[in-house]
Amino acid sequence: MENKVEEKESDSTAFRNKEKVLVTCSRRINYRYRHLMMNVVLLLPHCKKDNKVESKESKGATLNELVELKGSSSCLFFECRKQKDLYLWMAKCPNGPSVKFLVNAVHTMEELKLTGNHLKGSRPLLTFSTNFDKDPHWKLLKEMIEQIFGTPKDQRKCKPYHDHVFVFSIVDDHIWFRNYQISVPHNEADKVDRGGLDKMNLVEVGPRFCLNPIKIFGGSFGGPTLYENPFYVSPNQVKDFFHLLKLFLEASD
Amino acid sequence: MGILKKELVLSNKDAVNDDGEENPEVDISESESESEDEDVKLTERSKTSIYNRDGLLDKLGDISWPKDVDWRHKLSLDINQEQEVDVNDDLARELAFYTQALEGTRQAFVKFQSMQLPFLRPSDYYAEMVKTDSHMVKVKGRLLAEKRKIEEAEERRKARESKKIAKEVQAQKLKERAKQKKEEIESVKKWRKQRQRNGFEKDDQMGLTFEDGKTFEKSTKKRPGVGPADRSGGKANRVGWKGKKGGAGGKKGRDFKDSKFGFGGRKGMKKQNTAETTNDIKSFNKSNLSENKKRKR
Repeated sequence: MENKVEEKESDSTAFRNKEKVLVTCSRRINYRYRHLMMNVVLLLPHCKKDNKVESKESKGATLNELVELKGSSSCLFFECRKQKDLYLWMAKCPNGPSVKFLVNAVHTMEELKLTGNHLKGSRPLLTFSTNFDKDPHWKLLKEMIEQIFGTPKDQRKCKPYHDHVFVFSIVDDHIWFRNYQISVPHNEADKVDRGGLDKMNLVEVGPRFCLNPIKIFGGSFGGPTLYENPFYVSPNQVKDFFHLLKLFLEASD
Repeated sequence: MGILKKELVLSNKDAVNDDGEENPEVDISESESESEDEDVKLTERSKTSIYNRDGLLDKLGDISWPKDVDWRHKLSLDINQEQEVDVNDDLARELAFYTQALEGTRQAFVKFQSMQLPFLRPSDYYAEMVKTDSHMVKVKGRLLAEKRKIEEAEERRKARESKKIAKEVQAQKLKERAKQKKEEIESVKKWRKQRQRNGFEKDDQMGLTFEDGKTFEKSTKKRPGVGPADRSGGKANRVGWKGKKGGAGGKKGRDFKDSKFGFGGRKGMKKQNTAETTNDIKSFNKSNLSENKKRKR
């Protein structure tokens, strides 16, 4: 429920970003994916974590109601199937588009190889690769990501200073996410010494994941399908393929 | 709809199986086709899937923020990725992400600086971090352990190489010494022969001096605590050389064992004047009551 108090030639100070994200998951979620969800909650100070959501039949309706109940304007729903496959629903509510992603390559912040650290609640810098502007579906996704993952400017829990940066990059038709801590030698808070920018160093904080868009719907958790990914192969199909391959190989021996 | 799709795909594969050959590539990349009247059909890889361009752009218009929103609200940057990155090459991929982030941060900082906003955390600003201190301690521990492993590996390698070199040098030295010895012996022999030839002249004129001009000198290497006539190899004065195991060992000697296990039994508790022992008549053997104990047996 964005509060756009402005006229046509709006003064930008009248725009207030009142984005609130509801973060939930399904039951029987894997520990790794649960940690990923907790990490995401840490990264977004404008989010609200809710309890596990039950069954999948009436999924669309229940979630929409839940979102409205909590007064959020968007939702990140982590759905785990067969304790192996994680699907992420990203939806703008009440009538915005929603996307279903398949999540791969998950690394959480708890991994010791990801050594960076940053302020909890500081606003991130969002970087997108330019191929987000090539196609309408990428443009839509970019807008949604910008609104959901970007912390509102005067949010109550946000901290000043910018010490981390998000990377959203499209490689091989997947959206890759990285989070880096910015470390640059500086003395003052509002300027960098000459040559300081060159000595800037990024340390990865985590988490890491890779999103494979499956479908984009016109409504929130439902509605007409606006986009279907032609390259998407569901994990079940992959399993079936390997199973049949195994049978074939056994039969041919 | 989803189940139908799967059946279709599976039956396709079964048919193929019957033919005796499998064509996996086609099946795997197949995705179902579903077209609706108002949608734009997009053919990719000879399949059709929904791509409602207009619908997407409509939604985009719906949700996006007004165009002239201050950049400070969005904080988003678009970075151009020059070359195509191969997904499977991990290093190149991560490098591409890193450069994207670096470039983005640089641009952002330039903007911040021009807006004169504080954006860098001062060193005395302490606040809650996203990872707890205890976690960071673990991270630090791991980094240190890795560094130590690398250093140890380096040291081991260096030690190995220096050992090799040292061995060579040692061999060299021995050879030289042997050569020296030989030469000296040779020179003495020569000198003797010379003297013989010259008919044993006076001893004062030593035509030959030893090469380095030094006569026999006592070795200056010191070995503390060892006299010249010591034949024990220097181990006689070693600390702790007190019989087998020193004081503690002595306690576990014969006496102790005797008292614990041997015929001495336990030290105490041998005889006691208790109620049971008073009334115990087993030791009064009836058979020898009437005997003459003085008779020699």
